[in-house]
Amino acid sequence: MGEDIIAAMKENVIQGRKTEEDEGIDEELTGPGVLELTKEALDKGISPQVIITEGLTAGMQVVGEKFSTKEYFIPDMLASAEAVGAAMDVLKPHLEASNVETKGKFAIATVQGDIHDIGKNIVSILLKGAGYEVHDLGIDVPTEKIVEFVREEKPQYLGLSALLTTTMVVMGNVIKALEESGLRDKVKVLIGGAAVSDEYASEIGADAYCVDGFDAVKVLDAYQ
Amino acid sequence: MVTSDHIDIKIDRKNVCRHLGYRNGIKPSLRISSLIKEYMGEAHNLIEPLYVYIIRDIEQVVGSNIYIEGSIVFNGEVIARLLDRCCKVALFVVTIGKYLEEMANRLAEDGLILQSYVLDAIGSDAVEKLADFVKGILDDKARVEGLVTSRRFSPGYCDWDISQQEMVFTALEGDSIGVQLTEGYLMVPQKSISGIIGISTPDSGAKNYNPCETCRKYDCLGRR
Repeated sequence: MGEDIIAAMKENVIQGRKTEEDEGIDEELTGPGVLELTKEALDKGISPQVIITEGLTAGMQVVGEKFSTKEYFIPDMLASAEAVGAAMDVLKPHLEASNVETKGKFAIATVQGDIHDIGKNIVSILLKGAGYEVHDLGIDVPTEKIVEFVREEKPQYLGLSALLTTTMVVMGNVIKALEESGLRDKVKVLIGGAAVSDEYASEIGADAYCVDGFDAVKVLDAYQ
Repeated sequence: MVTSDHIDIKIDRKNVCRHLGYRNGIKPSLRISSLIKEYMGEAHNLIEPLYVYIIRDIEQVVGSNIYIEGSIVFNGEVIARLLDRCCKVALFVVTIGKYLEEMANRLAEDGLILQSYVLDAIGSDAVEKLADFVKGILDDKARVEGLVTSRRFSPGYCDWDISQQEMVFTALEGDSIGVQLTEGYLMVPQKSISGIIGISTPDSGAKNYNPCETCRKYDCLGRR
């Protein structure tokens, strides 16, 4: 019975059905969505860890594969990620109650001077769905504020986003400011955005460049 | 000249899909399709189209500097090559206002990233349509004088430095339609377009001038 729920959950993640009212990719699929199935699984005593690894994360892995082969596009991926994000909100108190640790604390910000937030939001929701504790600091975030967050909240990972060639330079300033504050070795810095690249990441001393949200999940998981 | 007359903006579903990332004739799934339809209907209540433009004589082009009536000076090789062929230039700013992006931000904050992304893509097409509408007005004005217009060019693209937004905004009083420049010269509301359109005699070659044809930056987001 439990296996059926988990299998249905995985399938509904792949189909991007958050609730029973949502249409999936496959028009035939009806019945409870990810949110209802998550609640049902908890009621049946299935552990949050099993729900996450065998249902949600397993589903997102398939979505990631479909995205990389261009069978899925960004909206399809977002529908799935949104469903997983909503399920994670339901699971959060249960995880806390059973002292299950997240995969780590991840802070993300669009750097000062840049106001683009779509890429940042996509990365946030995918990492949240992959089991990371995500702190979104927002857009146009002053360098000092990012440094302060790293000092006070001690995230293991920091994601910096910038869309433009004029604002990507600020990412380098953030890394310098972290060095000057003696915090650089406390946090892995990942960068992303249309104008940046692997080369740029090495140039400014970032730990990694992530081409998209799935890449960010892959990079962070490799640190585990 | 500032106008706030009612303009009927026809959002193009195909373009919205392109903004969403769909390529090669691949159509969105049923769920995404119905979401696009729903938000395209709603978007009309969230769009407040406003535009402002002026037409000025070009005094002279020296190297990459363009001197325009009213102490307007632009610098950039790509636009210098265009405006060297033109007798006049129109400067414009258009915006669909702040309501659509406020709604998109609210959706993102509520974890509805897919909905936010779809609404943003609709806004992108709407503001492009508004800029096309203004180009249409300029086409009509030019035609009366036996002249033609060029493509649109915006600061921040090609080698035209984004800081020259300031010159466009000073000349136009861009804030008269509620568009503000950030310190990094980005426009708020974001769904705004600023730029120039050259006006010339039909035989000048300005009408079809397209610097992308000889540009090797194949991954450019502004390629046309």
